[in-house]
Amino acid sequence: MPETFALALVLVALMVFFSIKSEFFLTSDNLLNVLVSASVIGIIAAPATLLLVAGQFDLSVGSGAAFIGVVMAWGTDHYGVSQAVLLSILAGVVIGVVNGFCVTVLKINALITTLATLAILRGLGQVIAEGQTLLLPGFNTLGNGRPIFDVPWPVFIFLFTMLLTALVMRFTVYGRSMYAIGSNSIAARLAGIRNARAVFIGFLLSGLAVAVGGLILVSQLAAASPEAANGLELSVVTAVILGGASLAGGRGTVLGTLLGVLLLGVLNNGLTLLSVDAFWQDVARGSLLLAAVGFDQLRLRLVGETS
Amino acid sequence: MPGVTLALRGIRKSFGGVEVLHGVDLDASGGSVLALLGENGAGKSTLVKILAGDYQADDGTIEMDGDVHTSLTPVTARRLGIRMIHQEFQDAGPLTVAENISLGRWPSTGGLVNWKKLRQRAQSVLDQMGVDIDPMAPVASLRVGERQVVEIARALADSARVLVLDEPTAALSQQEVDLLFAWVRRLRDNGVCIIYITHRLDEVAELADRVQVLRNGEVALVEDTAAVSRRELVQAMVGRDIGEVQRPPARTEPLGEPVIELAGVSIGEQVTDVSFDVRRGEVVCLYGKLGSGTNQVAEMCFGLRPATAGTLSLSGRQVQLRGIRDAIAHGVGYLPPDRKREGILMNRPVAENLAIASWPRLAWLRTVIDRSREAGAYGRWKDRLNIKAGRPSVQPIGNLSGGNQQKVLLGRWLERSSDPLVLVEPTRGVDVGARQEIYAAVRTLAADGCAVLVVTSDYEEAVQVADRVLVMARGRLVADLADTDISTVKLLAAAGG
Repeated sequence: MPETFALALVLVALMVFFSIKSEFFLTSDNLLNVLVSASVIGIIAAPATLLLVAGQFDLSVGSGAAFIGVVMAWGTDHYGVSQAVLLSILAGVVIGVVNGFCVTVLKINALITTLATLAILRGLGQVIAEGQTLLLPGFNTLGNGRPIFDVPWPVFIFLFTMLLTALVMRFTVYGRSMYAIGSNSIAARLAGIRNARAVFIGFLLSGLAVAVGGLILVSQLAAASPEAANGLELSVVTAVILGGASLAGGRGTVLGTLLGVLLLGVLNNGLTLLSVDAFWQDVARGSLLLAAVGFDQLRLRLVGETS
Repeated sequence: MPGVTLALRGIRKSFGGVEVLHGVDLDASGGSVLALLGENGAGKSTLVKILAGDYQADDGTIEMDGDVHTSLTPVTARRLGIRMIHQEFQDAGPLTVAENISLGRWPSTGGLVNWKKLRQRAQSVLDQMGVDIDPMAPVASLRVGERQVVEIARALADSARVLVLDEPTAALSQQEVDLLFAWVRRLRDNGVCIIYITHRLDEVAELADRVQVLRNGEVALVEDTAAVSRRELVQAMVGRDIGEVQRPPARTEPLGEPVIELAGVSIGEQVTDVSFDVRRGEVVCLYGKLGSGTNQVAEMCFGLRPATAGTLSLSGRQVQLRGIRDAIAHGVGYLPPDRKREGILMNRPVAENLAIASWPRLAWLRTVIDRSREAGAYGRWKDRLNIKAGRPSVQPIGNLSGGNQQKVLLGRWLERSSDPLVLVEPTRGVDVGARQEIYAAVRTLAADGCAVLVVTSDYEEAVQVADRVLVMARGRLVADLADTDISTVKLLAAAGG
């Protein structure tokens, strides 16, 4: 697909630029850093692609990840590590169920629903943690362990999630249904597709990804902060749209999202290496999102299907 | 009011290089009703939109009371006193009746809306019309007929001198139609010039003083209503000797058992007491214009709409369809009337569009899509339906012509061996060649034992494809024609009544 190719070119160009400007950029340590820091975004961006292809999105992911981190810490305190992990996964499922229910059964649109759960989860996280950062000494392996090739677990999970989602989207009836729903939900329904069920499952998957992402974040720092992952949803949405998924639904691939995630990661990393103020990084990210959506709308208008 | 004289001369209009009006003249005057008649695509709506200023003519003039204009805009048309009641409502839903009646010209004092005057103005117009509608009610809460009343009230309150009504009775009940006609007559007697667009011959007879027929963008006939017969009107609309539209060869095989049976079916206020059956091997056409209830019947057969009375039986068993998937499980296949909005997934490949209803069956373990099986499904129907599409596994269906898209949709249900098939407006927006191919395919399907219900508002379609035609008008079955009885005149006459 020509868009993906263009994206890959931009990524390469960006990498070339940073490697010229900074001698540290192209080192294996640094490149690994890029992958690690992109991992959580990538894990969550995978089901986000699936959802956007169906014309939906989940903006509660940042708050959800922080909330799950807090749940993990609380659970460890009260029960023990393995029970806490189960509890965290369960929490992710519940988030997915709540979002899915509101969107498919109550028919509240995804924007409002997930903005609401974004606020609710952020608040709940603060309540449970009583405003503190909770420590989890010992819960290290998931976030920092390096099983093979000196590559940390999060990177494997990231790549695995991307691969799995790509396979689902390309090869399964479920994945195809999501494309159909995004392309023309009325036609999909008239052809016998179960729109509500498919979208619900999408939100469920997003909730699960948020659980995994939240656990990784907590493990990387061995601490759970209710403030964690602030703005994560912005990065996820930016990556997915950069990757070519349309806001109108019906198009998008995991490969594109992967490139989008890497692009964002390289950008963040490069700007840090160049000692650019962290706040400018926010500006860069926001501008990139605007540009990506702008190009998407332009393309839609040229094709004649403005959303 | 001084008598208005209106004359359109030599109006030409093209869209995208295609000329749709080839130099049309029209004369109308205050104190009379001119009916503008013609089939879909004849140019009636385009002509009146030019009059109302929505479109600008490429050539020709509009002369009103001796003043010649080469083009009008909505503002200048309004100033001349030209008002139009469109087919689709152009009211502001959440606003109240009073606000709608004065839409755009709310009485104000010093920049603030004068609510008292607003209500008074509305009340006085409504009283004049003898209607009992609460001026403070939001129009969205009114019934369809009442909304139409508000539209007319708006035109009246705005001193219409020329009032154009575009197919106003499509969604009205008989009672509402009678009321509408009473107002139109009253307006006419008050000197308003009325142009009434319709395809219903009975309305022409009842309401119009003069009638003008448009066909393919040209004037085919202009006469006083009293001086012209129904047959002449039909002939002018259709433009050929009635006998020319080809009937299919008569069925020789005996028909099978009924696959669709409706008994005493009513659907809200839109369909009343409809009973018919479609047998194996038969192509039955349900023919009726917009608002006749045909679409609702089709939707009911696919579980999109429940019947409020009566029963539906499929293959001899009475069913209560609980939704689309239930209908599909019973074997019903449904081609919706608006393929772009309800049928095709524009940006998805052709083969995928065909296979979508059969994915679980074509996939490994009902989960993993097998592209080659999908392509195989497409291949099965490509030749039978003569679908022209290069690289079907990749090419988006949006690139195909309307006819090919429709064939893919048909293939979608054939791949499921759907029986019965409910096809709504199957050749709308389809070129002549593909049309014939689709009809041929439908007849072959029936010959192979399928039961087909074609729902259409196109009389030519009914004549060319059906073994039996059931005519609906205003929610009821008004005629059941078979074999030699099926002719354009009979259809148009029955549907108009």
